[in-house]
Order: sequence, then C-alpha cells, then structure tokens
Amino acid sequence: MRQVSDTIDVAFTVNGETVHLSVSPDTSLVDALRDDLELTGTKQGCGEGECGACSVLLNGKVVNSCLVLAVECAGAEVLTIEGLGRMGKLHPLQDAFVQNGAVQCGFCTPGMVMAAYALLQENPSPSEADVRRALEGNLCRCTGYRKIIDAVMAAANGGPRHD
Amino acid sequence: MIKTAVDAGAGSITGRKTGKKTLIGGRIPKLDAPEKVAGLTRYLEDIKLPRMLYGKILFADRPHARIVGIDTAAAKAMHGVRAVLTTADIELVPFGFGGDNTALKTGKVTCIRDEVAAVAADTPEIAAAAILVIKVIYEDLPAVTSPEEALADGAPVIHKKTPDNVPFRFDYLHGDIEQGIRESDVIVEDTYTLQRAAHCCLGRAGIIARFEADGRLTLHSLTQVPFSYKHDLSRIVGVPPEKIRVLQPPIGGAFGSKLDIHPFEPICIFLARATGRPVQIVFTREEEFLATPTRQPMVIHLKSGARKDGTFTFRDVRMTLDNGGRTSWGATTPWISMRTFSSLYRVPHVRQHVDVVYTNNIYACAFRGYGNPQATFALESQIDQLADRLGMDPLEIRLKNAQEPGETTGQGMVLGTCGLAECLKTAARNAGWDVKHSPLRKTLVRDALVRDSNTLVRDSNLAPARVCGMGMASLFHVGGGAKIQRSDGCGTMLKIDDFGGVTVQTGASEIGQGSETVIAQIVAEELGLPVSNIRVLNSDSDFKPWDVGVHASRTTFIAGNSAQRAAREARGKLMEGAGRHLHRNPDELDLADGNVTDRATGEPLESIGKIVRSMHFGGKHEMIMTSHFYEPPSEMPDQDHKGNVSACYAFGTHVAEVEVDLDTGVVRVLGISAAHDVGRVINRMGIEGQIEGGIAQGIGYALYEEVKVQGGRVLNPTFTDYKLVTTREVPELKIEFIETHDPAGPHGAKGVAEAPLVPVAPAIANAIFNATGVRITELPMTPERVLAKLREARKTLVRETLVRETLVRDSNLAPGRGGDIHG
Amino acid sequence: MTKTYVAAQTVEEAVRALSQTGATIFAGGTDLMPRWFRNLVPKPTAVVDIKGVEQLRSIKLADGDVSVGACVLMSELETHSIIRAAAPILAEAAARIACPQIRNRATVGGNLCNASPAADAAVPLLLLDAVLDVASSGSKGLATREIPIAEFFRGPGSTALRPGEVLTCIRFKPLPTGSFCAWDKFGTRPAMEIAVASVGVVLHRVEGRVVGARVAYGSVAPIPLRGHQAESALIGRLLSDEVVDLCVTAARKEISPITDVRASEGYRREIVGVLLRRMLENAAGF
Ligand SMILES: Cc1cc2nc3c(=O)[nH]c(=O)nc-3n(C[C@H](O)[C@H](O)[C@H](O)COP(=O)(O)OP(=O)(O)OC[C@H]3O[C@@H](n4cnc5c(N)ncnc54)[C@H](O)[C@@H]3O)c2cc1C
Ligand code: FES
Ligand code: FES
Repeated sequence: MRQVSDTIDVAFTVNGETVHLSVSPDTSLVDALRDDLELTGTKQGCGEGECGACSVLLNGKVVNSCLVLAVECAGAEVLTIEGLGRMGKLHPLQDAFVQNGAVQCGFCTPGMVMAAYALLQENPSPSEADVRRALEGNLCRCTGYRKIIDAVMAAANGGPRHD
Repeated sequence: MIKTAVDAGAGSITGRKTGKKTLIGGRIPKLDAPEKVAGLTRYLEDIKLPRMLYGKILFADRPHARIVGIDTAAAKAMHGVRAVLTTADIELVPFGFGGDNTALKTGKVTCIRDEVAAVAADTPEIAAAAILVIKVIYEDLPAVTSPEEALADGAPVIHKKTPDNVPFRFDYLHGDIEQGIRESDVIVEDTYTLQRAAHCCLGRAGIIARFEADGRLTLHSLTQVPFSYKHDLSRIVGVPPEKIRVLQPPIGGAFGSKLDIHPFEPICIFLARATGRPVQIVFTREEEFLATPTRQPMVIHLKSGARKDGTFTFRDVRMTLDNGGRTSWGATTPWISMRTFSSLYRVPHVRQHVDVVYTNNIYACAFRGYGNPQATFALESQIDQLADRLGMDPLEIRLKNAQEPGETTGQGMVLGTCGLAECLKTAARNAGWDVKHSPLRKTLVRDALVRDSNTLVRDSNLAPARVCGMGMASLFHVGGGAKIQRSDGCGTMLKIDDFGGVTVQTGASEIGQGSETVIAQIVAEELGLPVSNIRVLNSDSDFKPWDVGVHASRTTFIAGNSAQRAAREARGKLMEGAGRHLHRNPDELDLADGNVTDRATGEPLESIGKIVRSMHFGGKHEMIMTSHFYEPPSEMPDQDHKGNVSACYAFGTHVAEVEVDLDTGVVRVLGISAAHDVGRVINRMGIEGQIEGGIAQGIGYALYEEVKVQGGRVLNPTFTDYKLVTTREVPELKIEFIETHDPAGPHGAKGVAEAPLVPVAPAIANAIFNATGVRITELPMTPERVLAKLREARKTLVRETLVRETLVRDSNLAPGRGGDIHG
Repeated sequence: MTKTYVAAQTVEEAVRALSQTGATIFAGGTDLMPRWFRNLVPKPTAVVDIKGVEQLRSIKLADGDVSVGACVLMSELETHSIIRAAAPILAEAAARIACPQIRNRATVGGNLCNASPAADAAVPLLLLDAVLDVASSGSKGLATREIPIAEFFRGPGSTALRPGEVLTCIRFKPLPTGSFCAWDKFGTRPAMEIAVASVGVVLHRVEGRVVGARVAYGSVAPIPLRGHQAESALIGRLLSDEVVDLCVTAARKEISPITDVRASEGYRREIVGVLLRRMLENAAGF
C-alpha cells in the first residue's frame, strides 16, 4: 500500500518518456499534462467528462484525462496527441484529418484524434457505425463531424483520402 | 515544423473554361491544420506568461437585487491573492450597444451573470477559493423573468433611464399592409417561439492582459473585431487606442460570440493594472453557459397572405425580444430578420415591428445568422402553412415567389446574381422530393394517431410507430459584407520575398473558418505560386492593416477581394521586373508554378524568386510590397432600414427528411439535401466544412439546444443537459453548390459562413408536418413537445382509411426490443 | 483539500484506509470528479483508490453464480462473454452509458454506490435479483455481509452501505435459457444521455403463459425501482393485448417520476409505458 501526504511524487511514462512529478493528490491528469509537463495539446473543454477534448490513452485505453487523478497514473503509460507523430512527421491518422478537412478551429481535434486512434488500435477496419460510436463522446462545434468520420475511415483504409 | 503533403499543386484543378490549371474550386487543406492535428497550436489557455496571475469573477447569482455592501477582507487576506476589485476600485464607464453595461456593477444587479467583484491570484485554485469568501449583502428586488411581465402595468423598472423596459423599438415598412390584406385569398397567422441557444465554442472564453513598462497595453484576445475593440476598450479602461496592441491567438470557435466587448475583458485589464502583472482569465464551462451571451430568444407573431395562385401578397411581423438585463449588439438582430421577411421572396407589402424588452434574464449577443434563423423559422414555416391552405406543393409556391437576378427588393437590396430558384430545384431533386414528399402521408398518419398507447388495442400492423416526411426551407443572407458602419472595408499588405515566398498581412481575423487558406489560395492563384508559398499573418493589430472584423459572412468576399487586388498589383510589378530582366514584353509573360513563363508556350523562363532578386539588386532597386484597401460597393441602410447594404447576397435551400416516432415524439433527421448559391466555390473542402458544420448546428438548434432559464436562473449549464449534436446523429448529407459567379466577388465568390445554419430548423419543422400533419411552432422540437402536439392533434382528428406501405420505414430499427436468450 | 491518496491493493487495506475520517472510496471517479470540479461537494481529505484491488476486477462464473467485482468497468461488462451470455441486458446497459472514455473508467460498483435513480446498471441488476457483498473493517479483520439489491437503494445518493463499508462483489444467477429479456433507456440523443427513463423486463414462459416476470424502472422514482404491480399483471397470463394494456397501466401507476430539466413527470410516465409496451409486444411476437 502506497500512502502519501500533500504533494506526492509519481513517475509514469508519457509518450514513451519517463516523467517524475510532484503533484497534490487531487490534481487531474489533464492539469498535470498541461501545467506541469507543458503538453498543451491535450485540451480542456469542460473538465467534467462531457466533451472529450481531453482524451488521452491510459494504458492503451481512451479516457478523459480530466476525470483521472495524476497520482493514479504511477507506473502507467500515457499517450497524448504530442506522442502520435514522430520527428516532425504526422501520424497517418493525423494526416488523414488534414487531408480530409476534418479540422476547423481545431480545439476538438487532439481529443478526436486520440479517440479515433484508440478505435483503430482495437479495430483496424471499423464500419462507419463503429467510428460514430467510438467518437460519440467527443464534441465538435465546427465541422458537423462528417469530415471527421471520413478522415477516420480513410485512415483505416490505409491512408489519407484525396479526392 | 510539421511537414505534410499539402504542397505544390495539391488541390489544384483544371479550369472548366480556360483549360488552365487553377487553384480556385480545388480542395485545399487548411494551412493551420497540421499544427492543429499535431497538438502544437497554442490557444489562449495554453499561453503562460512569466509571473502571470489568474483572474476570477464573482457573479451576482441573483436576477435582480440591490447591492448593499461588499466585504472583501477575507479574500484580500488569503495567501496568494494579489488583488481584489470592486466598483470602489475602478472607474465605471458605461459601454455596450445600449450603454447599460459596466465592467463591474454598482448599485444593483440586473441578471445573475452581473459581475460584482474580481480577484487575481497566483493560481486558478486560489482565485476560485478567494471568490467564495467575498461577502456581498444584497437586497432582492422583484425579478422580471419574461417580456410579458416586463411590459405589464406596474412592472418593476430594470434600468432607470428606460421606465417602460423597452430600450429599443424598430419599425420597417414597404408597401401597404391593408392593401396586401385586401389582395389576399388566404391569410395565415401564427406565433413562433424561439429559444436561447448557446454558442458552445469548445475553446472557452478568456483573455490575457498585460501592461508594458511604457504604459502600453497588450491583450491576448479572442475578439472577432480587433480594431473597433481597441477603440471601444480604450474608453472603458482609459488607455489611448494607439497604445493598445491586440494579439489574436488561435481561437476555439467564435460564431459571433466574440463580437461584443464582454465585461470580463476590461475586468482583466483592471486586474493587470492593479497588480502590475499579466493576468489571464479563462472561463470554466459552467461560467461559459452562465456568463457568456446566447442567441436572442424571440417571439415572432407573423401574419401573411397569398392569392389563389400562390402569389404572396403581404407579410406583417411583430417581434418581441427578451433582451435580458443588459444590452449587447445582439439587440440589433431584428435588422437582419427584416431582410429575410422583406427580401427572400417577392412580396409587395411587408411591415415589421420589434420591441426589445428588458428582463432580469441573462442576455444575448451575436450568433451565426444574427436574427436570421429566427426569422427564417417563422417565415418558412408559414409558407408551408399557406401552401397547405392553398393545396399547393411547397416547392411550387416557393418557385412561384422566388427572387430573381436583377430584382431590387422592397428593402432596396439589389440582387445582381440570385440562384434561389436553382437552389430550390436542385435541393429538391437531390432529395427525391417528387417521390418522398407525399401529401398522402398526412391522412395516413392521422389514422395512426388515433391509437393511444395507453388504452386502445393496438394493431401494430395497422398503426406504425414511426413515420417519415420531407420538408424544405430557403434562406437569404448578405454575401458581400454588410455595411453597418461608414466602412465595411479590409486592408491587405503583401510582400514577395527574394525566394518567391509571399507574406500576406490581412486585416481579417481567422476564427477557425478557414479564411486564411482562402486568402492564400486567392493570392497563390494570382501569383502562380503554390499555396504552400503563401504565409498569411493576421493576428497582431500592430502589424495588420485595418478591417471591420469577422462577422456577416464577409471575410472571403471582402478580405478576398482586398487580397486579390493587392496580389494583382504585386503581379504587375513582378511582370514589369521580369520583362526588364528577360528583355521581353511583360504582356508575353505569365506566371505558373513559381516561375515566370512564356504566355504563348507555357515554357518556364525564370523562377519568381530570381526575378525578385534581380529587382532588389539591379534595375530600379525596388521591392515588391503592395497594399490595398478594399471597400465594397454597398451602402449604409437609411433610417428606414432600406438600402443596398451588401455587395451581393447569398441564397440557399435545404430539404430535410425526418422520421418521427409517434409514441415518443422523437424526431430523427435522416438526411439533408442542401443547395447553396455561393457565387463561386474557392476552397471546396473549406466550404463543405462550413455547410456541414452549419447543418449540424442547425439540427441542434432545431431539436436539442436550449439554455433553459427559470426565474432568471440557468437550469442546464453543462454539456450533459445542454445537448449538442454528436457523431451519432449526423444524417446523410447531399450538398450542391450553385455557382452564379457574382461579378463583385473574388473569382465570383459570395460569403457563406452563416447561411447553412439558417434554414435547417424550418426545413425540419416542415418535414415533421409532412410526416404527421402536426405543426410545431416552438424550438427546440424536443420529443416531449412533439408528443404533446401529436396528442393534441389526435383529439381533433378523425379516423380514415389506412394505407400503410409508405409509412413503415423500418420498424425493426427500434433499439432495445430485446430478444430471446439462447443458452 | 485532499491530503492523502491511498492506492489499496487488498480489500483489507481499502477498508482500513476508509476508516480514517474524511476518507472516500474512489473507483472510476466519473461521478466524483465532476462534482469536485464544480465544487458541488467538498473534496475528501483522503482518497482511497480501490481499482488496484485485483479481487474487485474479475468476472467469474462459478457454481452456477456469476460474480462481478465492484471495480469491473462498463467497457468490460459490455464485451465480456460471460455477461453477454448470462445477462445480455447488463451488457446492453453498460454499452449505453455515456461514451467509450467514460465506459473505460466507470465501474459497476461506482454506478450502484453513487445511487443515482438514473444509474443504468441498476435496472438490469434489479431484474437479475443480484446480491451485493460488502466488507468493512471488523474487530477480527474483515467483516462481510450481503445486501439483496432490492434493499440497497434508499434514495437519491443514498444506499444501505454503512460508513466504512465497501461494495466488493455483485452476484447473480444467469438468466435461464429460453427466457425473454429486454432493457432500454430513453434519452433525446442516441449517446451521451442520462436516462429520462429506463425500463427492463425478464419473462419466463411456459407454452406462452408467463410463469415468472420481473420488471424494473430507472429515472422514474427516487431510486431504481422494481415493478411489482406490473409483474403481477403478467404472472399467469398469456401476453394478449389486454394483458399488455393492464401491465402498462400498472407500471404507470407504480412509478413516481418528477419534473426536472430533462423531462416532465407526465412525459416520463408516458415513456415508461411506451418502452414497456414495445418490449412486451416484442416478447409476444416470439
Ligand atoms: C459525462 C458523463 C456521462 C455519464 N453517463 C452516464 C450514463 O449514461 N449512465 C449512468 O448510469 N451513469 C452515467 N454517468 C455516471 C457515472 O459514470 C457512473 O455512475 C459510473 O458507473 C460511476 O462509477 P465510478 O467508478 O466512476 O464511480 P466513482 O465516481 O469512483 O464513485 C461514485 C460513488 O460511489 C462510491 N463508490 C464507488 N465504488 C464503491 C465501492 N466499491 N464501495 C463503496 N462505495 C463506492 C464513491 O465513493 C462515490 O461516492 C456519467 C458520468 C459522466 C461524467
Ligand atoms: S475536458 Fe475532459 S471531457 Fe471535457
Ligand atoms: S473543429 Fe472546432 S470544435 Fe471541432
């Protein structure tokens, strides 16, 4: 049993790197990522689990990082939007978002991409209905979702769609 | 830098007429998309400045009360609190469209969101805790929670200078209503009730204010109108406008919400001044719902008539706006409503009277469509009611009255191009109108309605649970800006550098809609360069030239025209330099793919960069830097609201197909077919995105979205209870563009951003009517509201013969009916 | 202010940590964290995270009993073969909660202990007559007891759990082969909806005659409710139109919905009737 007081030290992996943080027990993961690690790609649209903008992968599962305590993540693996592309190159899923016009203001985009990424990890060839269901917790006010769904389908079918 | 495949030639297409490669009409991914998908874009809330403090506001949380005293001692004593402000600490300068707002409120509060005190602290948590310990003593006053209450005799007065609680009245007239009534064979009259809807930008409202050592003020602001913002703020906070710099970080959605100055903005500036440190305020989602304005709730009473053959005769409109406790620019939305009533169709006699009424509710501001969605809901619903009375097809009655090119409308708007008839026909054709809009349905459904799920024996073979229907609605909106001030212009400054890179500084602001990309495309087209060579800078008021701001769907049109003209001038200079360098007549030269080419053969002769270098290092020793200020050929409306306010006008038609569950009242949108007169498509990807996003917002407005206010209080300040459309409800979309090539537009384009939201709700309402024979006149059309209307209708309907084939779409679609367990 | 975070590894550790003053069990946090965020409730001084307790994470079928650990996730219930076979209504309910992000965090135990009348797992578990195992810190180590689910809910946010007790396991018998079951919830949108009303039905029939019936409702009473009146209307009968009508009428009488921001009382009554009727008509068709 781990028992600690006030601020506590946690170590976990973010995008493949080990990080050591000292956080108070009620700090949410989204705050730790954004404030302590300066990974501001993860967005906070509501702080209450209702918008999906803060979606990250925690041990391979998509979660709302606003509803996760940073202290819970000790020893865990966290993947954020910054961890998808590598060395200035976009991940094919990210590229599919660009090429299919799935981005407008872009505020929902990191969360959308992470939720879609989690889907494609589990189900590499989803139906459109699967995509809709996988993204049902991610709100977008700009795009009307059509192009987001297209982008995920395109990525699943082996790369961005150009037409 | 992030690399992507957005590069030379991407998205270019071959022009229909010229056979020449053109970028216009291509699918160009947004220039800022790679940054955004990579999670590297820094929005306001991602910016942290050294020693930055966090501001928080104490809201009144009561609708109408006198402020008796404020005790801030406990907050001031808190560790980490750097400033606590009340009206005692700041100068109060009235602002806002009605001049009835101040940064903090003194004397009394007139709605729950009134700002009473503010704190700046080392962390957001400390600021939030400090707010909780500020004690305000109030003396509650009777609250006025609806326009009816506000207009009643002896109603409490909300603002002293407006004893009748009606700060504004607007009247419009063309023709003669009495004559119109005499000319009518049928007259229909109804009342339409429109709700408060919230913008729900995913990025929350906020600002950072900081003072420089020399007294200059720098703001990181989400404003859509940076230049008038400077002007207005300067008065409120006492800093000369030339000493204010507005930086506009990327923005998580706006939709009109950032047109006004909101009290939190001067408050943040006052906090920065009090502490001498940068201060950031970012709202929580709850604050976003409670303390940012909404769309105007309106009650529209509409009476209109037609001749037997369907010709419209008159329209008489009375509108009441619940203005809430303070006035924003949104009070002027009826100006836009007017245009739809007067000019979407030909109608000789139109009158509109508007009362803008103070209440102690939260207030509203600009929101995509600006009064047009409300007006269009009333008007397009009523046209179907007229058609029903006349036994006419809704398409036919609209075609009969549709505006045509060349018309000057009753309100003085000159329709150079107008694709309305084409929009009507196209949207209907793509939707399968002839087959699916069956007037038969209504009778069928009446029978189905007779069944009562509680007592009647139901033969589910006879009475289907779900019925389908189809409805349409059109829209009219400004497409070439809207001259509501002396200028509706926009400036551009353009530079071609010595490697063929182009920097465009535009006055226009990007709010996610993709204007940056359209501007780059227009410039690239003019200069024969790939889009990736163009950088558009638009986020610093110290650098960018003047512009009115982003609203009224004006940016593609106005900023596009401005950029095109600046680029054209640069092109001229470039050709001149090339002629000199190549010893050719500039008329024999062209530009393509980054090169100066031989116009006749298309052969590349020299790179553009090389030509620019030759101009720097030799010849006249000159740079290519051009500028243009574009002022559209439109006029400010006169006192009677008449005049050609825009350089061109946008039209469109949506056809919605819905399925209505007769037992629950649930309405599902199965498909929307949209046709829009956009003048010309510049960026197909971008414009589709605007239409699709607008449709989704329109469906939300029609079916789900409402900020519910009771006794002045907001009941649903969360995304759980304020329902946006999700991925699950996006229907099948068929979108077609009608290209009328408006001569005033850049490459013939008109503005379109607001349009797609506008006709969705009435198209759905008309489809529900087609499916069920029931007319819904109140938004949102929630299951509960629809069911109540169905029940009401059932009472009055008679049983007729049942024909069921066309009715049952697929009753097996019903979820949750369960099944057998097979062990 | 939360001062302490305890990551319990065993039930013993959890109940011991819970006996500190101001300690709260933290499972998925999907009910707790939004409430803390909005300052609706004060943050506890100690958070006792029980997700690391292995024993609370498993789904088992042993001696004819299904047992589900309190910390089993909704996303696990949704897909687990044992649940899908033994209690498809529970899998369906789990699948209809919020969205993948929430389902990957929300636990079934949290759903019950939070005691919302709208808790979606509660109705299927009422239909399954589940038994809840709870543990607390006793004089000689762990003290345990069982609570039948019918006695668990006391009111909105209130349960039969005593201070210091932790829900450890939920047990029920698989639905027998040949029985009919259905569960549905009603909301305006297909996803991200807190139920306006939910209804579930389990029927055992012999030659078409109902010999066993269970009905339950969510969001239409202060607690998730068993529908005894509706059940009596069915027992011993064939599913004729008249019987369906009687059952629906009984259901509408025995619920006590309220009017709130999501729906009116009358509409909730209406919806319960529609959902129930559709299920029964569907059953009659089988
Ligand atoms: C956006 C959103 C949408 C939602 N949609 C739905 C929905 O559609 N349907 C629905 O039913 N719910 C919904 N919920 C509510 C919530 O997700 C569920 O109730 C969830 O199952 C709660 O489980 P948890 O593990 O997250 O609980 P926690 O938040 O960890 O705990 C909830 C409460 O139960 C107590 N508790 C938890 N586990 C135990 C235990 N083993 N023993 C004793 N006490 C315990 C905690 O102390 C706390 O008081 C939604 C929540 C959000 C944020
Ligand atoms: S910020 Fe986490 S879900 Fe909205
Ligand atoms: S792109 Fe703006 S919210 Fe999705």
